[in-house]
Amino acid sequence: MTSELEHELKHLIIDTLELEDVTPEDIDPDEPLFVEGLGLDSIDALELGLALQKRYGIKLEADSDETRHYFRNLRTLAALVEERRTA
Amino acid sequence: MTTPAMMYVHDWRAWQPGRRDTSQPRLSVAEKPAGGHVPAMLRRRLTGIGRALCDMLAELDVDADCPLLYASRHGDGERTLEMLNALAEEAPLSPARFGLSVHNAIPGVYSIGRGNRRTQQAIAASGDEFAALLVEARGYLAQGEPAVIIAFAEQAIPARFTAHFTTPIETAAVALRVSLTPTQDAWALTPRPLTSDDTAESHPQPSDLIDWLCGTRDELHCHRPRQAWSLVRGE
Repeated sequence: MTSELEHELKHLIIDTLELEDVTPEDIDPDEPLFVEGLGLDSIDALELGLALQKRYGIKLEADSDETRHYFRNLRTLAALVEERRTA
Repeated sequence: MTTPAMMYVHDWRAWQPGRRDTSQPRLSVAEKPAGGHVPAMLRRRLTGIGRALCDMLAELDVDADCPLLYASRHGDGERTLEMLNALAEEAPLSPARFGLSVHNAIPGVYSIGRGNRRTQQAIAASGDEFAALLVEARGYLAQGEPAVIIAFAEQAIPARFTAHFTTPIETAAVALRVSLTPTQDAWALTPRPLTSDDTAESHPQPSDLIDWLCGTRDELHCHRPRQAWSLVRGE
């Protein structure tokens, strides 16, 4: 099941990363976002980090294990926003 | 005595949205070019002109094995200006936009998308782009490359700069496959010395080259400080 926040994050990902041919239904919350699964790349990771900062006020270290953990899939990303959002 | 041809134009493709010569099969006037030969995850970062060039290059260089010489005087003016505005406002830059702000961004994406690992060059030459492309192409051909693709692209100047241009820049892109080998269908490209009539400055932009290729202009002059080129269409 997809939570409201997960749905919001799907739209954030599609809009921010200009994923033309991807619909929210295409993003499986448990599939990897990067390389496999959705197939995002390192520039997308930076772009997504910037979007999280703008939208939710979350600042992340670009190359930490923690960031890697949260960027694994949509569920971990939603958990990050729940925990750390200031906006 | 006729001057020997410098090189031959074997094929070409062009893109100019809104242009009327729609009967010309080598010309696309699509508002949104498909960019279909580049994987979607790469294509999403290209603007219309990048997609148009990728479409043209896929047809001109089917095996993705030709060196590519790309020229643009102004590059992607709108995006550059957007980034400068963000910097002026101390706002963070978009990493994706920044990554594609280099002059060779379009050839780079094409190269990754099509697996073309040959030489690429990105040129800006203050209005002498087409002449510079010919000089560079001549060099690669003289070194033994069997064929070279030259691509020339411009986008309309951002509104806040148009006052500085007497001639508006048309959004257009054009690519030619050239070689040193004459064939029946190829058009010869011949240099000639300047004459006393050649006083006017001549800086052809991509749309001028497309005019010539489509036959709406008979001659294309391309003056350099000490040299002029004339393109002569084959009979």
